[in-house]
Amino acid sequence: MDEEPERAKRWEGGYERTWEVLKEDESGSLKATVEEILFQSKRKRVIESHEQVRLGMMRHLYVVIDCSRSMEDQDLKPNRLTSTLKLMEAFVDEYFDQNPISQVCLHRNPKKHIAALKKAVDTVCVGEPSLYNSLNQALQSLKHMPGHTSREILIILSSLTTCDPANIYELIKTLKSLKVRVSVIGLSAEVRVCTVLTRETGGLYHVILDESHFKELLMMHVKPPPASSSSECSLIRMGFPQHTVAALTDQDAKPSFSMSHLDSSSGPGLSLGGYFCPQCHAKYTELPVECKVCGLTLVSAPHLARSFHHLFPLQAFVESPLEELQGDRYCQACQGELKDKSIFTCTSCHSVFCVECDVFIHDTLHCCPCCIHSQVTPL
Amino acid sequence: MKLNIEGLLVYFPYDYIYPEQYSYMLELKRTLDAKGHGVLEMPSGTGKTISLLSLIIAYQRAFPLEVTKLIYCSRTVPEIEKVIEELRKLMEFYSKETGESNNFLALALSSRKNLCIHPEILHANIVVYSYHYLLDPKIADLVSKELAKKSVVVFDEAHNIDNVCIDSMSVNITRRTLDRCQNNVDTLQNTIHKIKETDAAKLREEYRRLVEGLKEANVARETDIYLANPVLPDEILQEAVPGTIRTAEHFVGFLRRFLEYLKSRLRVQHVVQESAPQFLKDIFDKVCIDRKPLRFCAERLQSLLRTLEIADIADFSAVTLISNFATLVSTYSQGFTIIIEPFEDRTPTIANPVLHFSCMDPSIAIKPVFQRFQSVIITSGTLSPLDIYPRILDFRPVTMASFTMTLARTCLCPLIVGRGNDQVALSSKFETREDFAVIRNYGNLLLEMSAIVPDGIVAFFTSYVYMENIVASWYEQGILENIQRNKLIFIETQDAAETSMALEKYQEACENGRGAILLSVARGKVSEGIDFVHHFGRAVIMFGVPYVYTQSRILKARLEYLRDQFQIRENDFLTFDAMRHAAQCVGRAIRGKTDYGLMIFADKRYARADKRGKLPRWIQEHINDGSLNLTVDEAVQLAKHFLRQMAQPFRQEDQLGLSLLTLEQLQSEEMLQKITQIAHQT
Repeated sequence: MDEEPERAKRWEGGYERTWEVLKEDESGSLKATVEEILFQSKRKRVIESHEQVRLGMMRHLYVVIDCSRSMEDQDLKPNRLTSTLKLMEAFVDEYFDQNPISQVCLHRNPKKHIAALKKAVDTVCVGEPSLYNSLNQALQSLKHMPGHTSREILIILSSLTTCDPANIYELIKTLKSLKVRVSVIGLSAEVRVCTVLTRETGGLYHVILDESHFKELLMMHVKPPPASSSSECSLIRMGFPQHTVAALTDQDAKPSFSMSHLDSSSGPGLSLGGYFCPQCHAKYTELPVECKVCGLTLVSAPHLARSFHHLFPLQAFVESPLEELQGDRYCQACQGELKDKSIFTCTSCHSVFCVECDVFIHDTLHCCPCCIHSQVTPL
Repeated sequence: MKLNIEGLLVYFPYDYIYPEQYSYMLELKRTLDAKGHGVLEMPSGTGKTISLLSLIIAYQRAFPLEVTKLIYCSRTVPEIEKVIEELRKLMEFYSKETGESNNFLALALSSRKNLCIHPEILHANIVVYSYHYLLDPKIADLVSKELAKKSVVVFDEAHNIDNVCIDSMSVNITRRTLDRCQNNVDTLQNTIHKIKETDAAKLREEYRRLVEGLKEANVARETDIYLANPVLPDEILQEAVPGTIRTAEHFVGFLRRFLEYLKSRLRVQHVVQESAPQFLKDIFDKVCIDRKPLRFCAERLQSLLRTLEIADIADFSAVTLISNFATLVSTYSQGFTIIIEPFEDRTPTIANPVLHFSCMDPSIAIKPVFQRFQSVIITSGTLSPLDIYPRILDFRPVTMASFTMTLARTCLCPLIVGRGNDQVALSSKFETREDFAVIRNYGNLLLEMSAIVPDGIVAFFTSYVYMENIVASWYEQGILENIQRNKLIFIETQDAAETSMALEKYQEACENGRGAILLSVARGKVSEGIDFVHHFGRAVIMFGVPYVYTQSRILKARLEYLRDQFQIRENDFLTFDAMRHAAQCVGRAIRGKTDYGLMIFADKRYARADKRGKLPRWIQEHINDGSLNLTVDEAVQLAKHFLRQMAQPFRQEDQLGLSLLTLEQLQSEEMLQKITQIAHQT
């Protein structure tokens, strides 16, 4: 028997019933209910994050991306791997934007990650993944992290099988005792062992529906998780270096290398200005960073401030049915017409928003634009 | 919660109730009110057991004179234990709600190790035991004959009840049986000799009793104390045991003669099929055994064993079997057939003669049950089409209803795959059975499914032989190797120990994320008794239509009988039988409302209306035009979509009000309206 040639062209793949997404619901309740449930969970996420909880602001997150054979699958365009990596770039950006003093895979530099991700696009995906091995490897580095930071692993799992060298349930126990929080995003279906893994370690387990849902799920992990009450509290030394640029007129100024470029061959070599560590005066071009010389954490004040909004979140908007709204049916933020069956009202300025803007305001802006506006006008 | 079902106060030990449970109880109550029999189909995992128990017990309490006892028959020991567990919960709820300690006595007869035939069974309000205690005449005589008339009998998981009936009335006799029987007869003879020397009076007393006839038994039957034994027909009781077998020695001699005759019959070279009257004529011609003494054989042997005070009856199973056979063959001129085969079909060179005395009419065994008890409920997850059961069991039900599963999300996804990717029609029918292309496409289906279905897949084949052929072929084509990259493969075999080992490892592989496929056989142990909840069975693939082996002579005889006696066409019965087994197989995956699973029917014949229409309603209503006659690729796309939908978080709140009700929701007008639509009357 000849093996059938690998499917290479789009038109050779199985046809997809794209029209079914648009299907009006009359026969079964499936579509409507699932969407209803998703809508509810979207809202729920916003609401949940507004309880006053202690959040772990310094995060150590390991992202494990499955590169097994199943990543070649073309149900995400152009294939699962490329799509995942593209979304991961956005994720890394967003992650550092929202959590400037946290780390992914023990690096602070988002640029490095993005470069690495770009390189990974060409990876050939073969073989079967091992959940055990990847968890174990992540655990080896995470377990040395200080107690006041969160230890998280995010696994993006495409395969439905895992070939493990040992009993994974033992490892789950170890993870639990070391307070490592493991979350999984499944690309194909619900796998039992992941359900157990995430339930035991207190993480989240989600399976994507399509690409936009995938993105949503990824962005969910941008928010810091509630810190467990048992994690230690400690004070951390931080340096706030100022950006100084030697005046061009200063004849003594000499361009110098930044410490962060020591280990990478690429990038700009010499520059005049930079951030200087207040402790040892080592020069860096970017913040936040951990000083290579004295180990001091260097951040700028805005970074810290951005992390802070997690602690003082915006109040949840009140949901009410559209019919009750008097006056113009326009969202105050996007100026679009309100079409959904429910609307959202800010508790302090009583402005009305649509669900998309509600999510955007709470996830990204972290402040109500109308409140700000009314504060500014009297000036 | 406390429910009001048409005026009856029912205690229900849970805070929530499924709408179909309410509907089920409603139908059940109407059946009890009418004092008639009922056939009720409700999907597994929707709480049949607790609905049955709560309603019947409430009924018993409300009308203690109308219904005195509940006899709950289930199939296997684990099922019986499940019933007891539910019953315990209900009892706790009763004592909590009413504040009084309950005076209900429930009794479970499960395995031999806790077998008890204490007279207390007479006073128990609830008896839970296996089918055989009621249907098998050998056991029913010991255990069930004293049960009161005003009992409600429930047969749970009753989709195979006709086969149980037939098995309980059929006798297979091999050379081994006859040899053991010979030993039994020798032992009897020796014991008689011994007793004659020591206690001849005892034998004389027995003789006197036999002369007077079996009056006692007759009196008992007329006064309606005992459940009738189908082996022992009414006429016998009117008469005295004939003189030829009245003394013990004569009887033993008679048995010897009968035995020699059977031995001679087994020395055949070709297959013989004959009816009971033909057999009787032959035996009269050859060894001068009359019909009359044969009819008394079973009763005479019982009497002898009692007189000789033989403690261990199990040792005499062979001779009991032969004497039962003698009585049956001389009693029923219809409904039975005798087939003597000199060898098995598969091994025509090895002589292994078997005499099949096979019952073709399941109503013979179950008739006393329907006649005696005021309400008999036959229920299961798969009883479709409902009307065939009353026909083959020969009774007239007052209610027949099929209930669907109300679902907050569509958690089952039946797909009928009729073609491979190369458009080759998939079918297990005899002509294409060896077809290379079909086997390859079946392999391809399993391979593709193994890549997209998480954790466990159970695949069913139509027979062991077919499975072996296909798996061997897959191995040669390298398909197995590819599948093993995705999942481990386990195979059910005819060896019980091997199978339970495979099952254990299968579950382990599902548990730790490696994923596994279990290849098994419809009508096998796995297809009937083992549930694959949640991740143990995310998909069931049914390769082919599981028709019974139609070349068997016993089956042919039965089909002929069904056609002549019940006007059921051969094809209808075969399809019905195949579809109920297919439904059983695919039903293994869905064991509740939070569970979900794919049901893949891989045979183009499933798409036909005559096949599809015989599936239970709760499966049928999810088969739409879009899931018929798919190619493998299309099925994969649909399955992927389904599995992603199902993997989305699903909480109890999502079910509330739709498929799970609180008491307030239940009482709303709108809901009651909906509930009446759940039961589908036929």
